[in-house]
Amino acid sequence: MAGASVKVAVRVRPFNSRETGRNAKCVIQMQGNTTCISNPKQPKDGAKNFTFDYSYWSHTTVDDPSFASQRQVYKDIGEEMLLHAFEGYNVCIFAYGQTGAGKSYTMMGKQEPGQEGIIPQLCEDLFQRTGENTDPDLTYSVEVSYMEIYCERVRDLLNPKSQGTLRVREHPILGPYVEDLSKLAVTGFTDIRDLMDAGNKARTVAATNMNETSSRSHAVFTIVFTQKRRDQMTSLDTEKVSKISLVDLAGSERADSSGAKGTRLKEGANINKSLTTLGKVISALAEMQSSKKRKSDFIPYRDSVLTWLLKENLGGNSRTAMIAALSPADINYEETLSTLRYADRAKQIRCNAVINEDPNAKLIRELKAEVERLRNLLFSQGLQELLDNAGEPASAGDVPADPDPLIEDGEEGEEAVATEPISKEEAAERLLETEKIIAELNETWEEKLRKTESIRLERSTRSQ
Amino acid sequence: MASLSSDEWRAICDKFTNAQNLTEVESRNDPENDPFRSKYKARELLREIYCSLKSFEVSEGEEDGGGESGDPRPSEQPVDGQREDGFGQGFSGDSPAGLRAAKLGAVEYYLGVNHVDTEELSAGQEHLMNCMKLLGRCSVSSENVSLFIHVRNQLGILWAGRDETETAQGFLETAESIYQHYMKEDGSPPTDMTEYFTTEEKLLTHQERTKRFELAYTHTMYYLAQVYKNLGQTERAATYCHSTLQRQLQLNQFNPMEWALNAATLSQYYITKGRYMEGRHCLSAATVISGLAGEVPSEAAAQESETENERREQLRQKRAEIARCWIKYCLNLLQDAKKLLEDNIGELDTDRQDELKRARRGEEEEEEKGRKSALLFGSEDTFDSIASLEEKVRCLFPLDFTEARAVFLVGQNYVTQAKEYFQMDGYVTDHIEILQDHSALFRALAFFEEDLERRCKMHKRRVDMLEPICTDLNAQYYLMIRRQLMFELAETYSEMMDLKLTLANRQADTQSLDSHTIKKFNHLCSASAKYFQMFLDSLCSPEGKVPEHLEEEVLRPALVARFRVARLHSRLISSSPSVQLDNLNRSLENYKYVVQYCETHPEAATTVETELELSKEMVGLLPLKINRLKARMAANN
Repeated sequence: MAGASVKVAVRVRPFNSRETGRNAKCVIQMQGNTTCISNPKQPKDGAKNFTFDYSYWSHTTVDDPSFASQRQVYKDIGEEMLLHAFEGYNVCIFAYGQTGAGKSYTMMGKQEPGQEGIIPQLCEDLFQRTGENTDPDLTYSVEVSYMEIYCERVRDLLNPKSQGTLRVREHPILGPYVEDLSKLAVTGFTDIRDLMDAGNKARTVAATNMNETSSRSHAVFTIVFTQKRRDQMTSLDTEKVSKISLVDLAGSERADSSGAKGTRLKEGANINKSLTTLGKVISALAEMQSSKKRKSDFIPYRDSVLTWLLKENLGGNSRTAMIAALSPADINYEETLSTLRYADRAKQIRCNAVINEDPNAKLIRELKAEVERLRNLLFSQGLQELLDNAGEPASAGDVPADPDPLIEDGEEGEEAVATEPISKEEAAERLLETEKIIAELNETWEEKLRKTESIRLERSTRSQ
Repeated sequence: MASLSSDEWRAICDKFTNAQNLTEVESRNDPENDPFRSKYKARELLREIYCSLKSFEVSEGEEDGGGESGDPRPSEQPVDGQREDGFGQGFSGDSPAGLRAAKLGAVEYYLGVNHVDTEELSAGQEHLMNCMKLLGRCSVSSENVSLFIHVRNQLGILWAGRDETETAQGFLETAESIYQHYMKEDGSPPTDMTEYFTTEEKLLTHQERTKRFELAYTHTMYYLAQVYKNLGQTERAATYCHSTLQRQLQLNQFNPMEWALNAATLSQYYITKGRYMEGRHCLSAATVISGLAGEVPSEAAAQESETENERREQLRQKRAEIARCWIKYCLNLLQDAKKLLEDNIGELDTDRQDELKRARRGEEEEEEKGRKSALLFGSEDTFDSIASLEEKVRCLFPLDFTEARAVFLVGQNYVTQAKEYFQMDGYVTDHIEILQDHSALFRALAFFEEDLERRCKMHKRRVDMLEPICTDLNAQYYLMIRRQLMFELAETYSEMMDLKLTLANRQADTQSLDSHTIKKFNHLCSASAKYFQMFLDSLCSPEGKVPEHLEEEVLRPALVARFRVARLHSRLISSSPSVQLDNLNRSLENYKYVVQYCETHPEAATTVETELELSKEMVGLLPLKINRLKARMAANN
């Protein structure tokens, strides 16, 4: 869902040794929550500005007053999301960016003091807060799972024995789930940290000429947080369950070349090489068309597993934060620019579920007729001034002259008289008419039904 | 090959075969932590080949005695996108110099692809451009035309990946015109680049040559489709997708299930464009071609073997997906017809109906023939089956109940098929989407039904299929779906209420109205209000707070729901004045909400203009009604 529920942040890392070795230039500048990127090839007019909820300058060291530490990133984003989880929302934090831009550092960090990323800090904070609870009727439970999605196949990172890929399914009560994915109960931060370490080691990491280490899979760390409250009076338990999803997206195009659709996690002008992806292209065409015309279609191209698993996070009762990791180096200019553009678009991420409304022309017409009736009634009662004081009603000219025949069929002649414009003189005359006639003016068919009902009721009370 | 001994040549050929094998076969088994191992090895081999060819070229060049001095375009850079199709210029393709250039160009080409595949794009580009330079000295002939096309395909991909779509377009369109020109002027099965490095006994058959060449061009079409898509030229992109599919079928280079699904997807494009004949053709072809994939393995067979299980799963899923595309065809056809036929309050406009019926005769047949010849799928053996499937449902708008019902029944049949695979347990979202379509089919059909009793029953069917699901689904995971269902249920009940009213209106005179009708009316009215209210409640925070700010996607639905709840409450019938008073107050409260929300959020006003205007009126007028009621109550006490 757009707007308030998606927070977008970008963060730029220091040069790595390779970049320092090559005398890389920094193309990123930040001021407040604005990020500026300049084109190394056209230093004069190439600068572009982007504004986000947060722009984190982590290019330098702690000595720099504008330096954003792991702690600060957590405080701004992690903590807010954790509080939402306590409120009962599903929350989701995504890290996005080119390989080697620092996603894993932001999400996981290193195991040194002050170097932990959002995930360990959030877990620690979670247990800190639940540990402070003194209410005996309130209990908490925490379960975690950790999986990676590599080439559209789901692997359990917490179960070394699990082999092959897991199936994703949907259950009417349990929601979307991964079949046989281990869900481990944890009672403290050390448990969770150990599981995380084990999972991180099991992740698919590759070495290529371009990058020494690159995560080629999406990793999803999920915390299911349950707050159970016992009502002493009734001995009944009420549960509030929130799912915290922490997602480290793959940096390489290859890892999701088999398709991220729907929410457009990765959009671009890339051309698919293999004819086996023809379906993807056709789907995109059909989608472009239907979004223009708001017509109903079915695109048989399956959502990517990730999109599918997170679909409720991208719309609905959840709170989402996106952190785009940026490389500062001039050689990565193009990729970094595209990351910024993506982050800019992320503000508009929405899920495709829309409410299709029936046209309500008939209802409008009926109501207009009723408004007209009421206005005439007012008028004939000489209360026009009162009405004028009450507000500025739309001119009566907008109202169709004939009321809905389906409703008004069989009404007495007075009704037709009432819808004609009435002059002041006539209105004055009308005031002299009996209360009965005025009342009938106001009567719709439904009110006649009401009258019938009350007569029936009267009759039955009398007969008692 | 004078200075190169046959042994040396054989060694080059072996290296090449080896490199190809590493790239295409071995690389698939590379470990995840060293994904390019085989490609790096292949790269080394290609470099060695390049060096051998180069050194050979130098020695041969000397022997030829300045054979290259007549190079016609030594310094010119080949730039595509301009008119440059390589015909009738430079070395002829089959001259020794031309062949030499092509061979060296091919090695550059393979090196380029290798670098691109291993994410070293600029190096890849350089190699591909070297290939272009070498080819730039040659004219197109059957010896090199394949390379001419391949290298441009690769450059197209490369540039498109950099968001330089126009540059990509230039390369690909040139490839397209080279192909067309070649086929017109020559057309003989061209040499494949792999043949440059094969010993004579291993040369390809003509048939194989044609197959490979045509496949390269199919790729050009496919890449162009994507380029046009990226440029926003959807119409053109669709045509190229269509051609790609057509070529796959004609050249027998396709996987039936994949092809069928693609054709079915393309149908959705045509349907949303209102081109039902094309849509139907794609769908019929999809169904027929998917049949070529064979029978679904039995459950027993699936339990026996993992591969059979996988196959069973795949076939059932994809066929169910094609069925879903058919449902959309029927649904959109009905809905579009409805739009065409309805008057300004959504009822059947009989004048319009007569007019359309008159206009339809005659022109329909001709139009069908004309458009049909343009884009036909099918090979000789599938053509008839596709045509006979097309005859099962019309592609012209249904104009009366009988015609609408025929379309409806076809759609409903596909609903049953699709639900067989997409069951509730396991495929919640898909299953519900199918039910929503089924409901929408009923809704569209109801429009054509003149008998109001029966029309009401159709809406009742909708309620029956959607209501239980709406209550059973877990609200936390299926929020969006539930909202859609609530809204639809609310509207359906409201529709039924109106129908009941109209019926009562027609049949009964006011005196003989029975309590049963009133009860029924009230029930429908409250049910509608209940679902609108449920929808509104779903917008609240977990603590039950009404949101201060409505998200864009739900802004209009939320305000409309308020507006309708207001209206429904004022329509409830009760003989008790105090209940009436409560209802009117509820009504007023909701009208007020709409007005106040739009006051505090001025941007909301434009999304609900009419509703807001009427709400304002009612906020002004309803108090009068309420006061009258109060006065009456006071008088009676």
